Amino acid sequence: MNTEALSSSSYLGEGAGPAAWLLTTDHKRVAWLYLISLTAFFFLGGAMAVLMRIELATPAGDLVSDDVYNRLFSLHGIIMVWFFLVPSIPATLGNFLLPLMIGARDLAFPRLNLASWYVFMLGSLFALASVVFGGVDTGWTFYTPLSTLYANGFVSMAALGVFTVGFSTIMTGINFIVTIHTLRAPGLTWFRLPIFVWTMYATALVMVLATPVLAASLILIVLERMFGIGIFNPALGGDPLLFQHLFWFYSHPAVYIMILPGMGVVSEVLPCFSRRPLFGYKAVALSSMAIAVFGFLVWGHHMFVSGQSAYAGVLFSFLSFCVAIPSAIKVFNWSLTLRKGEITFETPMLYALFFLALFTFGGLAGLFLAALAIDVHVHDTYFVVAHFHYIMVGGMVTAYMAGLHFWWPKMTGRMYPETWGRIAATVTFLGFNLTFFPQFVLGFLGMPRRYHTYPPEFQFWHILSSAGAVVLAIGYLMPLFYLGWSLFRGARAPANPWRATGLEWQTASPPPPHNFDAMPKVSRPAYDYAMKGLQHEKFSPHKDEA
Amino acid sequence: MGASTESVAFDKPAREQAADTFAMWIFIGSEAMLFGAILLVFLIARISYGPAFAAASHHLSLPLGTLNTVVLITSSFSMALAHLFGNRGRWRASTWSLAATALLGLVFLGIKAAEYTMEFREGIAPVLGVPFTYDGPDPVHAEFFFGLYFAMASLHAVHLIGGIVVIAGMLVMWSSATQSSRLRRVRAIGLYWHFVDIVWVFLFPILYLINR
Amino acid sequence: MSDIRKLTFVYLVLLALLALTVGSSSFDLGGFNSALNLVIAAAKAAIIATMFMQLSSGGILPRLAVAATGLWLAILFGLTLIGR
Repeated sequence: MNTEALSSSSYLGEGAGPAAWLLTTDHKRVAWLYLISLTAFFFLGGAMAVLMRIELATPAGDLVSDDVYNRLFSLHGIIMVWFFLVPSIPATLGNFLLPLMIGARDLAFPRLNLASWYVFMLGSLFALASVVFGGVDTGWTFYTPLSTLYANGFVSMAALGVFTVGFSTIMTGINFIVTIHTLRAPGLTWFRLPIFVWTMYATALVMVLATPVLAASLILIVLERMFGIGIFNPALGGDPLLFQHLFWFYSHPAVYIMILPGMGVVSEVLPCFSRRPLFGYKAVALSSMAIAVFGFLVWGHHMFVSGQSAYAGVLFSFLSFCVAIPSAIKVFNWSLTLRKGEITFETPMLYALFFLALFTFGGLAGLFLAALAIDVHVHDTYFVVAHFHYIMVGGMVTAYMAGLHFWWPKMTGRMYPETWGRIAATVTFLGFNLTFFPQFVLGFLGMPRRYHTYPPEFQFWHILSSAGAVVLAIGYLMPLFYLGWSLFRGARAPANPWRATGLEWQTASPPPPHNFDAMPKVSRPAYDYAMKGLQHEKFSPHKDEA
Repeated sequence: MGASTESVAFDKPAREQAADTFAMWIFIGSEAMLFGAILLVFLIARISYGPAFAAASHHLSLPLGTLNTVVLITSSFSMALAHLFGNRGRWRASTWSLAATALLGLVFLGIKAAEYTMEFREGIAPVLGVPFTYDGPDPVHAEFFFGLYFAMASLHAVHLIGGIVVIAGMLVMWSSATQSSRLRRVRAIGLYWHFVDIVWVFLFPILYLINR
Repeated sequence: MSDIRKLTFVYLVLLALLALTVGSSSFDLGGFNSALNLVIAAAKAAIIATMFMQLSSGGILPRLAVAATGLWLAILFGLTLIGR
């Protein structure tokens, strides 16, 4: 076994000490900086959710006061959306994999990449500092006029923090788009790219074009709070609804920033563990782009009861149904990929299959909400909460876990304990459904979101949901321990442990600092699982000699 | 890895140059969305309160606004010259053009500050709690106009200040930079500077020239 | 030195357009003043983009970025104004 020689020439052994990591411009190390900070944010936001669920176990508000509860759900939303979900897959797996997948030495602008992490940390810590002073109670949406006229928390501080994080998002977006356009290996045409790269491209497009509009709306809130310009104040001629237009022009596409990368991960994992090429490759690739564009046409469905014109409501309802089509295309193609496959249930595959179930379920609930009449009934209830958690947590976080397990051997050069992985995936799936399915029922019965007390007849469903939250928390804590353990004690990973296609598997695990010893050339389509040799594990040039 | 590329990802300078330019244009697109969103806010208010906005617009100084537009267009011209001279290796001329660009930017800010001062004196600056003493029709919506005017002009000024700081920083580190990296920087800051100029080209008629 | 002459010419055209837009504001064009101002501003922006920013000779990628921005601005303005 020549693993020792291998690891000393890997990017992990290139230079130790804090300075070598904090000043690195290697995309693989920047990915780790993001991974560590995002994991911290994920568990911080998760702890707030658990606190809320414990509070909701009884109808009375007996654990936290109404004020504290408002601050809890606001920070839970702000942290989870902007400091975890938006950067999650792009900044960690995307950063690590994008250059490897297209056969490049690094991202186009390595220093910009490192700078994006510093800007991210600056903004997120600034926003978190508002907690020290007393927190924010507007909800993550910062709706006006609540946020401008009535809220007495540290809204400006939190808004400026989110604004700063937006810069980091735009930096990442620019870097990804330019990298994909200019640094693909010879022979790697657009329609030979892995779907993960396509979804990174679509995500980056949305990041670059939507984030500045969020920035504009946050600037205007800060101007109104600090300088008294009545942009959203009707008494001064302003229009509070305008804030919702600008906010959702960003925030609805931001949902696709969060889910598209998850779709990319699943498109890599499903073919690998069913030993089949991805069904309908071009349709899946182009539907990612369609989602990126159509995602911008539907923001009005957040405003069905906000007093926009009836014609706009009908139009936005219709467009919202349309945006389901490209997602449905993907679900059909993933399902058909499994058909007649030699399916094995390794941990990443389990997570990916759970993604498929939960995303489809949450997506179908979205069709209910796109329908005007039903939306008026369940607007601002737990039905909406359940819907977007099925997409964001059941979909995105599950896909994130799938990707983390799938590429963990590549990132660390170590295998994790497979049995523990399967147990954690299953616990997560069960805990998730126990937490959020009862919320559909609650919402349909009329339980509004953002309340810390409720009538006693809702308690049964709330207790189910709170119990589920505990199970879910265990499901998410388990990987923290066994993945952490595997960093030091895990078996050495071969270059291509899953016998997967894709350029990232053709270099060592972990990769050398310069990614590839010889620049790769590509002459085959993606997901060529029918290729001879791959079945017999003779494909990888760096095959483990153990 | 040739020594002439700055990023390890590229092996050919021409490719890197294309990537630089593309990245700047994406960034400009992103900035255009920022200003676009704020222009949209203005447009909706302008549609709603046309007469009040037209009357309020006449209280801005058209001569100073026009002069500032001339200054900014001239600075863009000078920036284009800096790029042209740099391309031909005439670095003395290029350096002077860059310095002139930044100086014209400062002149613009000076005139802007003079305008702000006049508006504060006249009592039509509804920011920072200064008393608002507007004597025209519909003072509530006129106040809204001036609020938007200060927000938009200041956001533009912040962008201009950013450009001036970058040019100053470039000139400070000028002697230690190779010719190719100088050219790379002039190209990038030039694109940004022209874009900030374009923003003003739109802001000027929108804010100063409302007739009805 | 024809390039310098070209840039100078562009500069003078921009100043002429500025004079035109300021001059037009002293005439009442019956509601077309704003439209004329915006057309002139767009013309100036196009001239700066093509001549100073060399959009026309920079390859396909910068134009792609401009086209995407234009499309997205149209979506932002269009659907917001419809929604009111």
